[in-house]
Amino acid sequence: MTGLLEIRNLSKSFDTTKVINDFSMEVVEGTICCLVGPNGAGKTTTMDLITGRIKPTSGQILFATDDITARHEHLIARAGIGRKFQVPAVLRDMSVRQNLEVAYSRQTNPFRNLFKFRKEGLKEKLDEVATLAGLTDRLKERAGILSHGETQWLEIGMVLMQEPRLLLMDEPIAGMTESEIEKTTQIFKDLRQSATLLVVEHDMGFVRNIADVVVVMHMGSLLAQGSIQEIEADRRVRDVYLGEQEAA
Amino acid sequence: MGNLYHNKIAQWIVYVVFFAALTIIPMTVSDSFLLNQLATYGVYGMLALSISLCWGFGGILNLGQGIAFGLGAYGMAMTMQMQSQSESNPIPPFMLNNSLDHLPLLWQPFQSTAVGLVLAVAVPTLFCAAFGGIMFRARVSGPFFAIMTLAMLSAFYTIILDRQAYTGGVNGLTPPSSFVFAGVEVDPYSPTAYWVVLCLLAGATFVAKLITQSSFGLVTQAIRDDSERVRFLGYSVAGYETVIYTVSGLIAALAGCCWVMLVQYVSPAQLDVGFSLSMVIWAAIGGRHSLLGSILGAFIIQGAQSYLGDAFLATWLLILGGFFIVVVRFLPNGLASLVESGLGLFDRQRPTSSPAPDGGRPMPAE
Repeated sequence: MTGLLEIRNLSKSFDTTKVINDFSMEVVEGTICCLVGPNGAGKTTTMDLITGRIKPTSGQILFATDDITARHEHLIARAGIGRKFQVPAVLRDMSVRQNLEVAYSRQTNPFRNLFKFRKEGLKEKLDEVATLAGLTDRLKERAGILSHGETQWLEIGMVLMQEPRLLLMDEPIAGMTESEIEKTTQIFKDLRQSATLLVVEHDMGFVRNIADVVVVMHMGSLLAQGSIQEIEADRRVRDVYLGEQEAA
Repeated sequence: MGNLYHNKIAQWIVYVVFFAALTIIPMTVSDSFLLNQLATYGVYGMLALSISLCWGFGGILNLGQGIAFGLGAYGMAMTMQMQSQSESNPIPPFMLNNSLDHLPLLWQPFQSTAVGLVLAVAVPTLFCAAFGGIMFRARVSGPFFAIMTLAMLSAFYTIILDRQAYTGGVNGLTPPSSFVFAGVEVDPYSPTAYWVVLCLLAGATFVAKLITQSSFGLVTQAIRDDSERVRFLGYSVAGYETVIYTVSGLIAALAGCCWVMLVQYVSPAQLDVGFSLSMVIWAAIGGRHSLLGSILGAFIIQGAQSYLGDAFLATWLLILGGFFIVVVRFLPNGLASLVESGLGLFDRQRPTSSPAPDGGRPMPAE
């Protein structure tokens, strides 16, 4: 088993503040890795660094042994990394169907797309994802009028349309009901057959259900890494994160 | 069935009917001055179309469309000017007045009509590709890009005004005779000139319409909505923006060529900031999200200016300004959105889709 995603000695400073400090981790292909940690630990910043939204001060990010450090966002996405944002980012002025269609980005060349009016395999994929996301009846609606839960589903659907090898999910179940969370759990477990997931999530119940590996971040560094049992037994993790959460 | 306004087949039918109606005009209008005037409206329609494509569909507000229009117009004027020069008399009179004793290198390619025409279209298009490429790669967008286009427009205006020996300065160029192409003289007051403009307007509109309906058009609409998000789907936002900005510039350059063919005149006034702003106003009033709406916006405003403008003189600008304010305030998507909401009344099968929380902006399918 090799790491599909490898982060080596990553650091990021904003002015004099070190947000990510010599952080290393590895995501093994075909697993679900959960990234947890208190607010401000640098989880979303790590996602930003992986997807190229911001450039690291130092360190390396390897995807499928390919160095993707500081590449442009669209090139990283094309390499096979899809991302769902913490604040769901869908195209609010477009219909649900158009959102999914745009996300089906097999052909990204602007000149070829000028002459493309029909995308091969789109219909099947769209039906499949819309069914999975429970949006079949909402395809014609404008994405801006969806409820928060539906918006979350739409963005997950968009990431699935991209057919990435690695899915980055930033707080995917925020604002979902119990039954929706259950459904997400099932979908994520199914996804593991064909893809690899890196999930940032605060809900430890959800993490317990899906995680193969848990990585705990604190103050921009790696605090602990291991199975959920190991993490929950770890005294340091209890001190900085889990204890605080139970108190809350 | 949904709102008929968003039905692609219905849209195509309306477009075909619209251009079919325009083909009848030369058969009914015998006044050649009126025909020439209507043809210039076609040029304005092309400009509004180019703005609609770039701004309405690509989300790129371009206040300097006069650059592409002006460069195209100057290229065409230079070509027509050289058509009136002969072997024995190769230097245009205004250059002699500026004591130039040889034809400048800049002008030499325009001695050939074919090369001149190609340059008149290619130079502005390539300029847009280069300028747009640099700006969009640097992620200059929104109002910042609009300001850059404005600055660039002013720079061109100043250069053309300043280089009198090469450009005719403030007087511009006035080619003495009609444009001749492949042995055919295109008299600006003849139906032929009208047909040329109409064909180019119709051709540009159909191409633009196809672009908006292609996968490319879907991506540009997504970029307009949230360019940041689209990057993470794997699309090069700068690439898409550059292409749509360049196509828009190409249409404006063609409009510039047609314009000089019709009026046999070009001056720095065609690169005036006010003229570029009026192109944006046509699209805004007609409805920038609709290609046809923008074209009609140009027809309505310019038509009203020609006929009401004479009657009201200085008051006309106040009327136009007031009208613009009313449209922006009550119809932010222009007159085309009236048609959209009108047709929406017949659409009873989608009760949930009506008033959206943020004021019911239309779906950008059109």
